[in-house]
Amino acid sequence: MTIGGAPPDAPERLAGIGLRAAHVAEVMATRPPVGWLEIHAENYMGGGPGPSRLDTVRRDYAVAVHGVGLSLGSAEGLDGGHLERLRRLVERLEPVRVSEHLSWSVSGGVYLNHLLPLPYTAEALARVADNVARCQERLGRRLLVENPSSYLRLRGSTIPEPEFLGELARRTGCGLLCDVNNVYVSAANLGFDAERYLDALPAAAVGEIHLAGHAVNDADGRAILIDDHGSRVAEPVWRLYERALARFGSVPTLVEWDTDLPPLAVLLDEARAAGRRLVAASRGSGVRAA
Amino acid sequence: MREALLERDGASILAAIEGDGLAPGARLAIYRHHVFATLTAALETTYPAVRHLVDPRFFGYAAHAYIAAQPPAGPCLAEYGATFPGFLAAFPACAHLPWLPDVARLEWAMNAALVAADAATLDPAALGEIGAPAAARLVLRLHPSVTYLESPWAIDRVWRASQPDADPDERVDVAAGPVRLEIRRAGDDVVYRRLDAPAFALRRALGTGRALRDAAAGALGLDPALDLAGALADLLAEDLVVGFGVSEDDGGSA
Repeated sequence: MTIGGAPPDAPERLAGIGLRAAHVAEVMATRPPVGWLEIHAENYMGGGPGPSRLDTVRRDYAVAVHGVGLSLGSAEGLDGGHLERLRRLVERLEPVRVSEHLSWSVSGGVYLNHLLPLPYTAEALARVADNVARCQERLGRRLLVENPSSYLRLRGSTIPEPEFLGELARRTGCGLLCDVNNVYVSAANLGFDAERYLDALPAAAVGEIHLAGHAVNDADGRAILIDDHGSRVAEPVWRLYERALARFGSVPTLVEWDTDLPPLAVLLDEARAAGRRLVAASRGSGVRAA
Repeated sequence: MREALLERDGASILAAIEGDGLAPGARLAIYRHHVFATLTAALETTYPAVRHLVDPRFFGYAAHAYIAAQPPAGPCLAEYGATFPGFLAAFPACAHLPWLPDVARLEWAMNAALVAADAATLDPAALGEIGAPAAARLVLRLHPSVTYLESPWAIDRVWRASQPDADPDERVDVAAGPVRLEIRRAGDDVVYRRLDAPAFALRRALGTGRALRDAAAGALGLDPALDLAGALADLLAEDLVVGFGVSEDDGGSA
């Protein structure tokens, strides 16, 4: 399967990879066959060679912008300065999609560099919906909101996460980014059924899927899965992905890798593995690709 | 939860966490570990020479204390750590390395130069429109990537010797200072070089927004024979000037 020869609407073109700084020069030099690239917004908000190289990459590839620092769950509202920097980046890159996370990371002016859990309550839903609406208004486009990987639940949560996301999409018109690895990790850590979670998401709202590897750690004798983006996609996550495709249809799918970044070829190989499943799903057949 | 993650108050949040078969504190520790590990990695990326000079384990120890005391104020990690040099200067465990904070300042200046805002170079012809009476009150805007850094220590040599390709047997006389450095972005690269005292005084004063008359007075105090017109021509030729204005203040030098 070569993407270079595939028609523009071929399903394998829906598979992309997260573009990390260490791979930018190789991508520019070799222009590998991959459907699209996703960048982390916060790494390109300054000046200099980073953003200008991205302008070059943008000429050959569809690029999606993935924010990690907007803190959509913040009770204190969005940081207007940060939102403006995101707007300028989106204006510069004209990305195919813009996404952020259902989490908080800013409190009292301190940024904790983590996607921290929200209590899933009516009050939190109203707050997140306000923040999403403000972001979409400022960017002038639809946002995709991603389900987090979770290691704890907060007491007092009254709304299951997929329903919370579904209601958020209904109220604001935002789309959803379904991170299938996050669903798998959270289900194992918190003890819920990953397949039922997928079934509870509003299929029409899902505009992108993320895949990544996770680590298995021991916490007081109990296995805890860590969403470290540091290995190949685990086999049970591939199976959950096939189920997600069957339910959501052939949705643009990203393979992410952040910890212990391997050679670019490994990411491209993972993207091809996703591409085979996208092709199979678009034929409406059961997927059993290797 | 913020306070618990920064190791300031671990108790109040625990009551709000469902155990789900695990101690709430163990669940919270997963988040705390991630916060410190990723922010330490960000500081390692910004301060590789400091890390090399003090050894990675000590760096991790100092970074941990710094993160707990001064966590990021924003989500762009390349912008985190501006106050780390000052933190090291006051960190008792580094007191025997008095030059270390200035090496950190050099690394910060390099990091800042790499991601500083883009700005188009000023066309020198634009300065021709300024009349002679206003020239003394001229304020130049230098490129956002430029930093002027002075140290009593030979921090540029220390930095060079800490690079991966440096000769491990090379001896550096850290006391062979002082040094006056200009750090900037040139094309896609970050470069630094030493300046002599008058040129450094002139450029640093201009870089902080001082009017030409005041900046020149300081430099001429160090070298009465300084070729001021030549020094300004150099600044323009080196693409360091990106804009100008005329100071309202027409009094004596401040």
